[in-house]
Amino acid sequence: MKTLCFAFGAAVLLFLCGCVTHVKEINLTGDIMVDGPNAIANGPPRDKVLWQYRTAVAAMRRGNYQMSKEMLDHALLTLGGIYGKDKNAQKARSYFAEESRKTFIGEPYERVMAYYYRGIIYWMDGEPDNARACFRSGQIEDSSSEGEQYQGDYVLLDYLDGLASVKLSDDGSDSYKRAENLCKNFRKPPAYDKNANVLFFLEFGPGPRKYATGRYREELRFTVPPSPVHSAVITVEGRTITVGPYDDLGFQATTRGGRVMDHVLANKAVFKATTDAAGDVGIIGGAIAAQSRDHTTQDVGLGILAAGIVTKIVSGATTPAADTRTWDNLPHYLSFAAVELPPGQHTATIEFLNRDGQPMPNLTKNITINVPDDKHDKVVFVSDASVTPQTI
Amino acid sequence: MSGCWELQSCGQSVFIFMLMNLISNKYCAPVFAMAVAGIVAGCASTGVRNPSGTNVTEMRPDETGFVAGTGVESQDLVAVTDKMARSILGIPQIARAQGVPCVVLDPVNNETRFPINKDIFLTRIRVQLNSKAAGKVMFLARDRMVALEHERDLKRAGQVTANADPNVVEFKGADYFLTGSLQGMTTRTSTGTSDYVLYAFQLIDARTSAIIWEDSAEIKKQGLEDAAYR
Repeated sequence: MKTLCFAFGAAVLLFLCGCVTHVKEINLTGDIMVDGPNAIANGPPRDKVLWQYRTAVAAMRRGNYQMSKEMLDHALLTLGGIYGKDKNAQKARSYFAEESRKTFIGEPYERVMAYYYRGIIYWMDGEPDNARACFRSGQIEDSSSEGEQYQGDYVLLDYLDGLASVKLSDDGSDSYKRAENLCKNFRKPPAYDKNANVLFFLEFGPGPRKYATGRYREELRFTVPPSPVHSAVITVEGRTITVGPYDDLGFQATTRGGRVMDHVLANKAVFKATTDAAGDVGIIGGAIAAQSRDHTTQDVGLGILAAGIVTKIVSGATTPAADTRTWDNLPHYLSFAAVELPPGQHTATIEFLNRDGQPMPNLTKNITINVPDDKHDKVVFVSDASVTPQTI
Repeated sequence: MSGCWELQSCGQSVFIFMLMNLISNKYCAPVFAMAVAGIVAGCASTGVRNPSGTNVTEMRPDETGFVAGTGVESQDLVAVTDKMARSILGIPQIARAQGVPCVVLDPVNNETRFPINKDIFLTRIRVQLNSKAAGKVMFLARDRMVALEHERDLKRAGQVTANADPNVVEFKGADYFLTGSLQGMTTRTSTGTSDYVLYAFQLIDARTSAIIWEDSAEIKKQGLEDAAYR
């Protein structure tokens, strides 16, 4: 009987060893332009969109818009087709799998930014209607949170929706009014100038990060590092344009409202705590009973002890931790400015200003802009993390 | 991370196994079985879905595939353009035209929230009309004017041969403009996303600006993502 028991045990062990799955490990170099493509090609598929997001914005800051476009197109395909049953998402809701098992598409503010960046590139490519479509999709993504008070409240998305409409000879006044009403914390955006043919999309400061709190790290929280940059100044052809922020991603992340997944994780945490406590009771109670001189009580005690251990294992296997994968190279603030420039080459200098309104010389960017004479807008994307000089 | 957890679980199973051997009594077997069941349940694969991929599945462009969103998709394109092509052929200005009317495609205006290749709608309507009603309408390649003008200039300059007098204007003028718009309406709540798209197309008389034909198609789609994404 003992031999049989050992043999069975060995078989179970072998079975369990086979159960271990190789998780793809990728060696990170710290250079996003290396790590991103590597992680997309060789990393876990569930993190693909996360790396596509990160690589896309890094590529934009380096002026590699083609790469950025490809990354965002792939990411948005995943994002747009997330409806219905998804086995990984289903597993992420189960007691014994972490939330991070699901395919990453990001929290609403991250999804919005994917559409925002793709919109900028569409506009760059002379497709303001598709850019407008992206800004509209972005605003819709911001309306997904449960019981959220601040739904679809990106000033810039509505403002740019209206501007694209004006450029397409449509009426953008409704969008402008919405943008104006949404603008509560910052200076209101200027009225549309249809002739402004050079569009500056600015961003600065470090974006929000995710972390988990709670006994089992089941509560998703956001931290927003303070931005050293508070505004920017664009100098081009002797004109100086001061640009303040219109949208604050920190505000967007922290006012997202509740998630259905928060309830799921809370339930997982309760289950984990309950089974853990039951396990403790079983082990202690069983151990005490096992000390008895009465054989029956001893047997029952050992059974309870074993059941307690099993319950502890089940508790240990329960994973309520929130998914803290973060699109970690997003900015803090989004801004925009439009100017009219004649066709030809122009040099623009963008200075980022600190809280006191003083330029931060290490962040100054120089961009050579070739304004076309085909009536198309010239789109200039500048981040405080942009690599310049750039010629576009 | 999950791989580490599984190793830990396997370690726990060794512990249980040893414990069960030490505690050899009638309660051992069911408890051991429970332990194994618990561990195996927790050991559910951390692997990826379809690790070997999915075979390429050829689908008809007018059927809804297993990859679907609430946006504009191929089945919508096929349904809408088929309807428009049939509708255009039925109007008297085309069906009983004296000559062959010349039509120019004017880009569709995309007012939805879905970025699309807007030319694809008119391209498919043109292809449908040309293939199913050849000779009833003639489409002018205005999108190729730069190349056409360049060729004409070469002929005028005598740099290439010409079968006719290149100084005579032979580029045809449009009798009609075929254009359209895509407009959308979206609702997003905790119960899902609903997208309605109105595809409206028009044939406009180039001389009078009268809209001589207009037809539309409507498609509404709804979807709800897994609770893990909400």
